[in-house]
Amino acid sequence: MRSCVIDTEFPVAYIRGCRRNVMVAKLGRYGLIAGVGVGVFILGSSAVDRLWKRVTGAPRLISVEEVPDAGDSCYRPAGEETPRLSGPNHNLFSDFGEPSAEAQAGPGTVNLDRPPARILRDTSPIYSSVAVDDKNNEVFLQDNNLWSIRVFSRLDNAKPGAPPTEARRVIAGNKTDVQFNSCVYIDPINGDVYSVENDIGDVIVTFSHDATGDVEPVRKLRVTHRAYAMAMDEANQEFFVSIQHPPQVAVYRRGASGNEKPKRLLIGEKTQLTDSHGMAIDAKRKLLFVNNWGNSADDDKPGSGRFGPPSITVYRLDANGDEAPLRIIQGPKTTLDWPGAMSVNPDTGDLYVANDMGQAIIGFRSTDRGDVAPSRMIKGAHTGLSYPVGVFVDSKNKEVWASNIGNSTATVYPLTANGDAAPLRTIRSAEEGKQSLRFGKTQALAYDSTREQILVPN
Amino acid sequence: MHGFAYDAVHDEIVVTSPLAQAVLFFKGDANGETPPVRVIQGPHTQIDGPPNLGNDRVTVDPVNDEVYVPAVPSSILVFDRKAAGDAAPKRVLTGPDTGFEAPGIRGMATVAVDAVHNVMVVNHANRLLIFNRTASGNTKPLRVIGGPNSGVGQISSFQIYAPKGWILANGQGGFIGVWSIEDNGDVPPRWKIPVQQLTGYTASGIALDPAHEEVLLSCAGQRARPRDGIANAVLTFSWPEIYK
Repeated sequence: MRSCVIDTEFPVAYIRGCRRNVMVAKLGRYGLIAGVGVGVFILGSSAVDRLWKRVTGAPRLISVEEVPDAGDSCYRPAGEETPRLSGPNHNLFSDFGEPSAEAQAGPGTVNLDRPPARILRDTSPIYSSVAVDDKNNEVFLQDNNLWSIRVFSRLDNAKPGAPPTEARRVIAGNKTDVQFNSCVYIDPINGDVYSVENDIGDVIVTFSHDATGDVEPVRKLRVTHRAYAMAMDEANQEFFVSIQHPPQVAVYRRGASGNEKPKRLLIGEKTQLTDSHGMAIDAKRKLLFVNNWGNSADDDKPGSGRFGPPSITVYRLDANGDEAPLRIIQGPKTTLDWPGAMSVNPDTGDLYVANDMGQAIIGFRSTDRGDVAPSRMIKGAHTGLSYPVGVFVDSKNKEVWASNIGNSTATVYPLTANGDAAPLRTIRSAEEGKQSLRFGKTQALAYDSTREQILVPN
Repeated sequence: MHGFAYDAVHDEIVVTSPLAQAVLFFKGDANGETPPVRVIQGPHTQIDGPPNLGNDRVTVDPVNDEVYVPAVPSSILVFDRKAAGDAAPKRVLTGPDTGFEAPGIRGMATVAVDAVHNVMVVNHANRLLIFNRTASGNTKPLRVIGGPNSGVGQISSFQIYAPKGWILANGQGGFIGVWSIEDNGDVPPRWKIPVQQLTGYTASGIALDPAHEEVLLSCAGQRARPRDGIANAVLTFSWPEIYK
C-alpha cells in the first residue's frame, strides 16, 4: 500500500529511534517535568504493531515529506469527499487491518521471575521537616524517603569535603508507623517527638524523646486525612493540626490519642482557608497563622473548583468554627509560592516561611497584611537552600533552621540573616553537592516517548 | 498525584488538579512554573474532587482526541481532548449496569483505552471491566475479567499495549499480569512478574516503552515498608514477550 492522505490533523512523518535518557523532576508536588522535542504521528505502514511502536516508542521527527499526488495513490483532490475516520467505531488504527487479540486459550500463566533491569531511586533521606530541642541541643529531621526521623547534634556541621553527618539516633521501621510524614514537632516541656502523617495513615504518632530504632509510638491520634503541620499552645495545653482539604485547623487537648475528637475546628467558607499547609502559632500575641495554596472547591458541587493565589491567613488563637481571619497576607509582592512550614519568633512575633518553589526562607512582620513584600528573604547561591519546605525558629540560640528537599540537608542561619547568606552550619545526609531526586511519593508515572524520559510526579 | 498521562501524538502532559476540580494540559517540553496551555474546569464539567477522591487520575486517547476522568457518582467522564474552560463531557458512562460499585469508583477506578480494538478498560474493585470505547450511559461491560484465578487487583494507573490487545494490570499479592482484551471471566494472566516478591515493592503505576520492549513501574510505599527501607522507586523490567 502506498501512502495515503487521510483526514487527520497529524503531519505525515518518518521517525526513528533516538538516544535514550532518563530525566526525573517535579510534577507539582503534584507538578511537572520535561525536556525538549516535537511530538509526531506517523502513517505509511500496514503493520499495526510496528506503527504503534513508532507512535508510542521512540519518536523523533526526522523529516516531513509530501505524499506523492500521482499514480495509484489514494490522494483525493481538494473538494472531493474525504473519508472520515472519527466515527464512533472507527479510528486511524482500525483501518489498517484486523485487530490482533485473542482470549486466553493456553495452559496458563508464564511466570517471569526476572529482576528489574534498572531501579531508579534515591538512597538518601529527603527531609520534609525540621525541629529543634533546645534543652538537649538536638535537631530532629523528618525523612520522607526512608520513612525515618533522624536526630543530630544541634552543632553538627558537615564542612566542605567532609563525609555526610552521622545521626545520633534514627527512629524507623514497621513498628513506628512513620511513613509519608510532613511535620516533626518536639514538645518543649517533656521532649516528646510528634510526627504528622500527610497521606496514607491519617495519624499523628508520638515517641518518647530518646526513642530509637523500630519502636512503637507511645501514642497514636487518628486525624483527618491530609494532615500537614502541627503546633503546641503550652499555656492552654492544646495542639493545633492543619488539614489540607477540606481545609481546616483541628485543635486537640494535649495528650489526645486514639479516636479522640478535636476540641474545636476552624473550618468554613468565611475562614478563607484553601488547600492549607503550614501553620504556626504566636502564643504571646494570641495569633494563629495558616498558609494556603489557593486551590479550592465546594465538595458538594462538582465543577465548583477554582484556583486562587496563595495566602497567609491570620486568626485569633482561639478562633472557632466558620470564623473570618483578622487579616490576610496575599499578592504578588509576598512571593509566596507553595509555602511549606512556618515558625514564629516568640520574642518579636516575626513569622518565618519556608517558600518551597521560591527557593527561599521569607519573613513577615506580625502585623503585616495585604500585598506586602517579605521583611526578610534568605535566598541565593550561597544559602545552600534547595526546595526548602521545613523551617524552625530556635529563639534560644537566635537561629532559624531550614530543611531542604532538594539536597538532603538542613541548614541554619542567624535569625537576622537576609539575602544570599551562607549557612552557619549544615547537616548533610548525602554526598556533597548531591541533587536529590526530590521523590515525595512516587505513586504514578508516565513515559515520554518523544524524549525518552520518565515523568514522575511527587 | 495518583495518575497522569503523556500524549505522544500531540506532545502534551495531562494532569489533574483534584482540589481545584480541573484537568490541565501542558506542553510536552514544559519546565518549571509553566502555565498550562488549556484547562478544563467549571460547573458544566461535572468534575469533582476530594473528599470523594474523584479526578485524581486521567487517561488520554490521542487517536480519538479524548480524555477520560473518573468522577462521582461512579462515573467515567469523557471530554474532547481539545476542550477548554467550562466544557461539558462528550459522554458519561454511569449507572447500575456498568458494574461500577458506588462509591468505589470514586478515585479508585482507572481507565485505559485501546484505540486499535476500540475498547476501554476500567480497573475497578479488583476487576477489569471491558467496554466498547464509545460506551455511554448505563451500559453493560462487554466482558469482565476478575476472580481468584485471575488474581486481578487494583492499581493507580495501568496500560494496554494496543497492537496486541494486552492489558497490563496489577495482580493481588503484588504481581504485574498480562491479560487479553478478549479475555472474559476468571482467567489467569498470560504472563506475570511477581514484582513484590522479587523486589519488595508494590507497583502503583505502569508505563510502557515499546521501543525498548520495557515496562516501567512506579512504586510508593503502601503501608508495607519496602524491605530496604527506601519508600520511593521506579522499576524498569525488560518484557519483550508482550511486544512480539
